[in-house]
Amino acid sequence: MAKGKSLRIGAGISVAIIILLIGFMGVFDVTAVSKIPVDTESIEFRPDIVFFDNMEAFGKLEKTKAVFLHDQHTDALEKKNKDCLVCHKTENGRMSPKFMRLKDVSREELTKIYCDNCTKCHTETIAAGEKAGPVKCDDCHKERILIQSSRVPMGFDKSLHFRHYRAQENKCDRCHHEYDKKSQKLFYDKGKEGTCRYCHKEKPEGDDTEKVISMRFASHSACIDCHLKTRAKNMDAGPLRCAGCHDAQEQLKIEKVKNVPRLKRGQPDNVIIKTGDKKGLIARMNQVPFSHKSHEEYNDTCRVCHLASLESCATCHPLVGSNKVSKNGRDITLETAFHKRGHQSSCTGCHESKQQDKSCAGCHAFMSKTRQQESTACLRCHMVPLPEKTGVLSTSKSAKMARLMPQLWKETFGPIYMVNVPKTVVVKDLMDQYEAVEYPHQKVFNSMVKQLENSKLARYFHYDETTLCLGCHHNTPAGDKPPRCANCHDKPFNENNLFRPGIMGSFHQQCIGCHQKMGIEKYTGCTSCHKERKKQS
Amino acid sequence: MSISRRKFLGWVGAAGLSTTIGKPAAAATGKHFTGYPNSFAILHDTTLCVGCRTCEAACNKVNDLPPPDKPFTDLSVLEDRRRTTTKAFTVVNKYDNKEKSKSPVFFKKQCNHCLEPACASVCFVSAFTKTKTGAVIYDSSVCVGCRYCMIACPFEIPTYEYDQVLTPRIRKCTMCYPRVIKGQLPGCVEACPMEALSFGKREDMIKIAQERFRKYPDRYVDHVYGEHEMGGTSWLYISGTPFKELGMREDLGVTPAPQLTAGALSSVPIIAGLWPVLLAGLYAVSKRKEKIAQTEKERPAESETEEES
Repeated sequence: MAKGKSLRIGAGISVAIIILLIGFMGVFDVTAVSKIPVDTESIEFRPDIVFFDNMEAFGKLEKTKAVFLHDQHTDALEKKNKDCLVCHKTENGRMSPKFMRLKDVSREELTKIYCDNCTKCHTETIAAGEKAGPVKCDDCHKERILIQSSRVPMGFDKSLHFRHYRAQENKCDRCHHEYDKKSQKLFYDKGKEGTCRYCHKEKPEGDDTEKVISMRFASHSACIDCHLKTRAKNMDAGPLRCAGCHDAQEQLKIEKVKNVPRLKRGQPDNVIIKTGDKKGLIARMNQVPFSHKSHEEYNDTCRVCHLASLESCATCHPLVGSNKVSKNGRDITLETAFHKRGHQSSCTGCHESKQQDKSCAGCHAFMSKTRQQESTACLRCHMVPLPEKTGVLSTSKSAKMARLMPQLWKETFGPIYMVNVPKTVVVKDLMDQYEAVEYPHQKVFNSMVKQLENSKLARYFHYDETTLCLGCHHNTPAGDKPPRCANCHDKPFNENNLFRPGIMGSFHQQCIGCHQKMGIEKYTGCTSCHKERKKQS
Repeated sequence: MSISRRKFLGWVGAAGLSTTIGKPAAAATGKHFTGYPNSFAILHDTTLCVGCRTCEAACNKVNDLPPPDKPFTDLSVLEDRRRTTTKAFTVVNKYDNKEKSKSPVFFKKQCNHCLEPACASVCFVSAFTKTKTGAVIYDSSVCVGCRYCMIACPFEIPTYEYDQVLTPRIRKCTMCYPRVIKGQLPGCVEACPMEALSFGKREDMIKIAQERFRKYPDRYVDHVYGEHEMGGTSWLYISGTPFKELGMREDLGVTPAPQLTAGALSSVPIIAGLWPVLLAGLYAVSKRKEKIAQTEKERPAESETEEES
């Protein structure tokens, strides 16, 4: 009977396998639930869509988020000659951005405020025989939302800041403030102005008694309130509708002031960036003279460099740290903060991003992103102090440096490229299908010099002729006459020099690659550089 | 008689089952093959390719292929999505660059010379050979024209000379096997003015790819296509755009094609050899039963003791 049992097991297994096979073939495939396809074309994009998602603070929502189109309501009320106060309350003469309340309330109260007030107004409007919004729950709390937000963030650039500064009669205290913990009041601290976002973060911070309101709340209550009041005085004022600030097209219409005067906050023209931190540790690097004034011109807001405050870099960044990325960045060392590649706030990161410019990319795109720069490059910023005999009276070392800086820079900017370069170079190593190439060496050099002269940054770092030559004549010792290309670039695919292209490859990669990066479209196709060679019969 | 009908059917069922369950597929192929040591490969760097079609012209020349409909200097053909034909073992296609619309991406297509080629594994006359140079070559003298290779190839490369009535052949890139064994470079590699194609040992080509990733991290997608796809290929690709956008399949997995079928194919000898014996036995038993019944009818009243299990 034992045999019979094993046979029954065998039969059972085979039945199971058959069922599995059928299963794989998809007969029992009922798991795939068809999803309703959302037609992307029917989705509308608006900058003024507001999701009532603040109920999420109380836990899971009972219904789907209600959708509210703010500009639609503003426009409807304006037509009826009603103002914002229909929906917003005021406190101390300032309108609250919250709907029909001034402070946060409980879940039940909040639900009541929204549901009662919305439906009440809608019902009244419908009763008056006009078009109005929903009065039923599910018409606000929709299953499928066919409107998406096209809101773009808004911020003050230099021009907008200047226009406000001018309009507010140069009175910074109308917007800028500090918080006094003792009196729990806002006050104006002259010379301590910073950007709003230093204190007002994405979400409210701090405990209940000293809550720092979010940037969103702060900006909407301050900006809109002021715009409203200014309009009430029949004066020109900023936007009141959502789209006015948050629509990409509308943003382009905002007037730009050219040549914005420098901000007046007592910032220095020139700074000596010390290479030590607050703890008294000192790095053995030369200090860096830095023109604060000229860097202000290149950036739209202080926050590009001063991420968290307008203090000096060493206030937050230590000389020795773990370099862990944390919320306040206080573990990032000074070295990293200044030299981190790919970060817009670091010196190296920002300078390198300029290399992607058309006039730079021709050479710089081919330079390895991991290359170790020579120590002479460090000295471009970490300047060797000038000798004592240059006649400076001050005893303080940094003061001495500060005074010397303009002189230092003068010496380093605008070199005159007086290199004796060959006019043309004939490349005839590869003559086969085509004739030798007559390369207009001097013309290319001159055009590079011209591009260079347009950029102060480029002029500073290409401090002598050879730095310019290195774009093509790489690995050539500075100041020397470069070796012929074919001295190193020989036959391709040399096992001993895996990463070195052959002679034909290196010419074409360099010439065509540079032309592509610089957007030079004049030379396309083989015959724009080579003449076709007539076969001698 | 010690065998019952039920027991016998049990055996038949068990034999059938064992063939379907089988052993793990890899076990059937012996061991995992990672290519011949020091075999060659070609690395195509699409970021360097300018779409000049010089490789196509060179391929045409070294393989003595008929002249093309449009000359190789005519770059308008790049606008169409072309595939390899019996007259063109390699084609370059142009793809839009989503990031930089002004600089399109050019992608060269030809046989990828898999380390474990699907075409060779399906070919029952062994017309395909994976050589130690890395090339997968074809021998038309044994080919019977079944075109299984065309169906098996995951890259849709082999083409068939439908216009040849008497001697149709499969046509595809040979990785210039005849030239490589003479110490010459493959035609396309030698001709490429940009050195967008590199030729050398497969390990070295992967090293070159990795070095370029390291030096120019923002220029490349960090993936060498063909390093592991379908168990690895002798043509390798690096690119700045995802390979999916260049018409390359990203769903192929890393298992070589022969391994996918080896398990099922290894059961063929069992079924072909064992089942006729079993079925013939089944037939013989039933015949014998009939015979016994016949004899019993003729000579009744004898003791009948049948074992039951």
